[in-house]
Amino acid sequence: MAKTKKENIRNFCIIAHIDHGKSTLADRIIEMTGQVAERDMENQLLDSMDLERERGITIKLTPVRMSYKAKDGKEYIFNLIDTPGHVDFTYEVSRSLAACEGAILIVDASQGIEAQTLANTYLALDNNLEIMPVINKIDLVSARPDEVAKEIEEVIGLDGANAPRISAKEGINIDRVLEQIVELIPPPEGDDDAPLKALIFDSYYDNYKGVICFVRIVDGTVRAGVKIKTFNSSKVFDVVEVGTFDPHLKPKASLSAGEVGYIAASIKSIQDTTVGDTITSVDNPAAEPLPGYKKALPVVFSGVYPLDGSKFNDLKDALLKLKLNDAALTFEPDNSAALGFGFRCGFLGLLHMEIIQQRIEREFDLDIITTAPSVSYKVYKTDGSMVVVNNPSHLPPATDIDYMEEPIVKASIYSPPDFVGPIMDLCQEKRGVFLDMSYIDSGRVRLLYKLPLNEIIYDFFDGLKSRTKGYASFDYELDGYEKSDLVKLDMMLNGDVCDALSIIVHREKAYARGRAIGEKLKDVIPRQMFEIPIQACIGGKVIARETVKALRKDVLAKCYGGDITRKKKLLEKQKEGKKKMRRLGTVEVPSEAFTSILKIDSE
Amino acid sequence: MSGIYVHVPFCKSKCTYCDFASYPRETGKAELYFACLYKEMKARANQYRKKKFDTVYIGGGTPSFVDEKFIVGAIRQIKDKFDLSAEPEITIEINPGTLTEEKLSAYKAAGVNRFSLGLQSADDRMLERLNRIHTLEDYLSAAEMLKGENFNADALVGLFDQTEKDLEKTLSVIADSGASHVSMYALKPEEGTPIFSSYLNGDLPDEDAVADLYEFGVKYLKSRGFDRYEVSNFAKKGCESRHNLNYWRRGEYLGFGVAASSHADNRRFTNTEIIDEYIKCILSGHFAEISSEEITGDEIRSEYLMLALRTEAGVDHEEFRRLFGKPFEATFKEVLKSQGKYMDISGGRARIKPEYLFVQNSIIISFM
Repeated sequence: MAKTKKENIRNFCIIAHIDHGKSTLADRIIEMTGQVAERDMENQLLDSMDLERERGITIKLTPVRMSYKAKDGKEYIFNLIDTPGHVDFTYEVSRSLAACEGAILIVDASQGIEAQTLANTYLALDNNLEIMPVINKIDLVSARPDEVAKEIEEVIGLDGANAPRISAKEGINIDRVLEQIVELIPPPEGDDDAPLKALIFDSYYDNYKGVICFVRIVDGTVRAGVKIKTFNSSKVFDVVEVGTFDPHLKPKASLSAGEVGYIAASIKSIQDTTVGDTITSVDNPAAEPLPGYKKALPVVFSGVYPLDGSKFNDLKDALLKLKLNDAALTFEPDNSAALGFGFRCGFLGLLHMEIIQQRIEREFDLDIITTAPSVSYKVYKTDGSMVVVNNPSHLPPATDIDYMEEPIVKASIYSPPDFVGPIMDLCQEKRGVFLDMSYIDSGRVRLLYKLPLNEIIYDFFDGLKSRTKGYASFDYELDGYEKSDLVKLDMMLNGDVCDALSIIVHREKAYARGRAIGEKLKDVIPRQMFEIPIQACIGGKVIARETVKALRKDVLAKCYGGDITRKKKLLEKQKEGKKKMRRLGTVEVPSEAFTSILKIDSE
Repeated sequence: MSGIYVHVPFCKSKCTYCDFASYPRETGKAELYFACLYKEMKARANQYRKKKFDTVYIGGGTPSFVDEKFIVGAIRQIKDKFDLSAEPEITIEINPGTLTEEKLSAYKAAGVNRFSLGLQSADDRMLERLNRIHTLEDYLSAAEMLKGENFNADALVGLFDQTEKDLEKTLSVIADSGASHVSMYALKPEEGTPIFSSYLNGDLPDEDAVADLYEFGVKYLKSRGFDRYEVSNFAKKGCESRHNLNYWRRGEYLGFGVAASSHADNRRFTNTEIIDEYIKCILSGHFAEISSEEITGDEIRSEYLMLALRTEAGVDHEEFRRLFGKPFEATFKEVLKSQGKYMDISGGRARIKPEYLFVQNSIIISFM
C-alpha cells in the first residue's frame, strides 16, 4: 500500500508560553483565511469555555479547518489545533501534537524565551514535529526582536533569523506566517485505501449526537454508514456523521488520510471511546493501533464531595462527562468520616484541580467541597510491603511504617538575574536542592532545582510570582521518588479529628503548617453557640491550637414599628447561609474552609 | 386584641445612628401630613370595620416635636373611627428636649397614658456626639414632669468607648427617675448612617464588648427591679408594654403614615417611606403601600416562633397546638435534639434560656 503525500493539507498547532499571544495569533490566522467574517468574531474564538475567557488562558484544545490560497496560486487546507499553555496541561499539548506535522512556536518579543517555551519545544521535538518560530508582539515599545531571534538560535537551536516578526494583535506580518506554514510545515502522509486508523485526540458529549470524537485520520477513509470499533473496546458503532471544524461542526461526505475532523456514531457511553485510542473499521480492520501518546498521570489528588450528600450521583455524572474530554482526570469513589460519600480525584496540577472544581460548579450547578490536595506517596511498611497512598486518611498507622518516599520534580526557573536571591530563598524554604544555574543572555538566568512535589502544589507558583514581580517563569518535570521524613498532620475541631483536613507533610514543616491552617480555620469558621478548639496534631500529640470563641451576639435589634417582614427576611437569609455549611461532628464548617487551607503562605 | 401605630416622621435634627423614616427639613409639611393620616385612617377603618383595638402607639421621628394639636387630633380620629377598648394603652414617644407642661397636659387630656423617653445615654458629651438634641438635665426635668406616670426610657448599648460605668450611670439615672420600663438596645450601625463610618473605622465596641456590656446591663436592671420580658425590654411587674407584646404574639396591627407596617388578616404590608410619595398617594385616594405579602402555611408558624422566642414567656404549648394542630415538642423533635440544650421547656412553655437570648438567631433559624 502506497503512502501518498497530501500536498494541499497542513496540520499544525501553536505552542507558546502562557500570555505570549497564542490565541490572538490563532484568531488572526482564522480571520485572514476568511473562515469567519470579522463581524462574527468574538475575541479569541477558540477559547470557547467561559472559564477560558475569564482567565485568559486556553485549557482545552479546539481544532479549526481553514482554506488558504497561497502565493503559489494553490489552495491549501489548514487544520489548526489550539493548545493550552500552562504547565498543568502539558499533556493536552502532547495530544494535539500527535495530530499534527508541525508547530508554530511563538516567542514574545519583549519577554523572550520562557519556561514553557522550552518545555513545549521539547515536546514538539519528541513528536518529530517541524517547528516554525514566530516572534510576536513587535508592536510593543519594549520589543527587542533581534535579541529574541538570537535567543531562539542559541537556546533552542532553531532558525531565528527567518522567524516572522509579527504583531498578532495589530495584524502585522500575519501573511508571512501563512506563507511559512505552506513552505515549512510538511504535508501529512497517508494511504486513503489502507485499513482505517484514526487517532482520537479529544472528545465531548453532545446531547443529540452522542459522543463526538475528534480524530486525525492517519490511514484510510471514513464516511457515514461505516461500521467502526476501537482497539480498547469490543463495541461496534455505525458512523452517523463525519465532518470538519469551521470551528463549529460541519458535516462532510468523508474524511480521508491526513485530515483532521470529527466522527459521530451514536456512541452513548462516555467510557466507550478513550482519548488516545485508535478507531478502525470492522470490515477491514487495521492490524495494530497507533502508538497513541504517553498517558497523563495525575500528580495531585483531592477528595471531591457534594455539599448536599444526596447529590452523590449527580456528582458522579458530572465527573464522567468531564472525563470524556479530559482524560487526565481520574476518580474513584471515596468515603470520608467527615464528609460522607464522594470521590478521590486525580489532577495534573492545582490549576487543573481548580478548573475541574469550577466546571463542576458552573456547568453542572453542583455545590462541592474539595479537600486539601495531596501527592502520591510510597509507603514502605515494616512487613516489607509497599503501598501507594494519595489520601492522608489511608496512611497506615505510624507503627507499621518503616519509611516513606515522596515524589520529586526537576524545576527550571527563568528570571531576570536581579531576582536570583529571592528565588533561591523560596526554593530553600520549599526544601529545594540547587542543581545548576546558567545565563541565557545578560538579561535572563535559568535556575535548576530539585524540589519535592508536595511543596510545589501549594503556593510555590504564587510565591515565585510575588517575589519576582511576576517576571519569573517556571516549569517542572517529575523526577522519581526520594526518601523523606513525612508525618500525617491531623486537624481536630472541637476534639474530633476531621479526616477531610488531614495532610501529609514533612516533619520540619508540620508545626508551621499546623499553625497556619489553624489560624486560617479560625478565620473562616464562624462563631457558634460554643467555643470551638482547633488543634493541629501529629499522632495524637497536639502541636498547635487556636480557638473560635463562642458566639456572643446574634439577635435582631428592635422590632420597630412592627416591621416584621424585614426581620423575617434577615433570618431567612441567615438560614440559607447555614445550608451552605457542612456539619462536622458538632461544628458547622463553611465549604471554603477546605479550600482555604490551600491558600496558606507557610511563612 | 390589636394595635394601632402612628408614625410621625418629623425631627428637629437627625441622630447619627438613625435610619428610620424621619425628615428634619420637612416639618413644614406637618399640617398636610396629618390631614393625610386622618384620611388614611378613615379608609382603613372602612376596610377593617369589625376589628377591635386595644393599644395605640405614636412613634417617630419625634412625635413630641410637632405641635400637640396634631397628636390630639390623631388620637381623636382613632377614637372616632376605630373600635377602641375601654381602657386602651396609648403611648407616645418623647424626646426629653421637647417636652413642656402644656404638651404633657394636652397629651394626657387626649388619653395618652404611657410615655417613652428617648434618653439613650446619661453622658452629655455622648449625646452631643450622637447629635441628640437634649441633655441629661432635659431628661431629668421631663421625668420630673412625668412623676407618677407610666413611662419608659431608652438606653443604647455599644456607644463609643462605652464602659460598664457609663452604662451603669445611664441605667441608674433611668431607675432613679421613676421609669417603670426600660428599652435597652444594642446599637446597630446601619449602612448609610453617619455612625456606619465610625463602625467601619473600628471606633465602636466589638461584638464581645457589646455582649459583655449588655450582660452587665441585664444584671443591673434586674437589681433595680426591672425584669427582662423580651430581648431588649425590661419592666417593673405589670408594666410591660401591651402594644409591643402584641407584635411578639403575632397579633394584628394597623400602621399609619410613612414607613408604617401593618398586619391584618394574615397580610403584612408597609407604606412608602418617602413623605411626598405618601402624601401624593393618599391625596389621590390611594393607599401608600409599597409592599404587601400574604402569609400562609408554614410561614405563619415560622413567624409565630421567631416572635414568641424573643420573649421570656416563649411559646405556649397549648396555644401552639391550637394554632398549628400538632404539639410543639412532636413537631420539632429533631430540632430539639440539637437546640434543646439552649432552651427551657417546662410549665407548658418552651423558651430560650435567658443566657442565650442574645444569640437567639442561630437557635430560631432551626425552627424556621
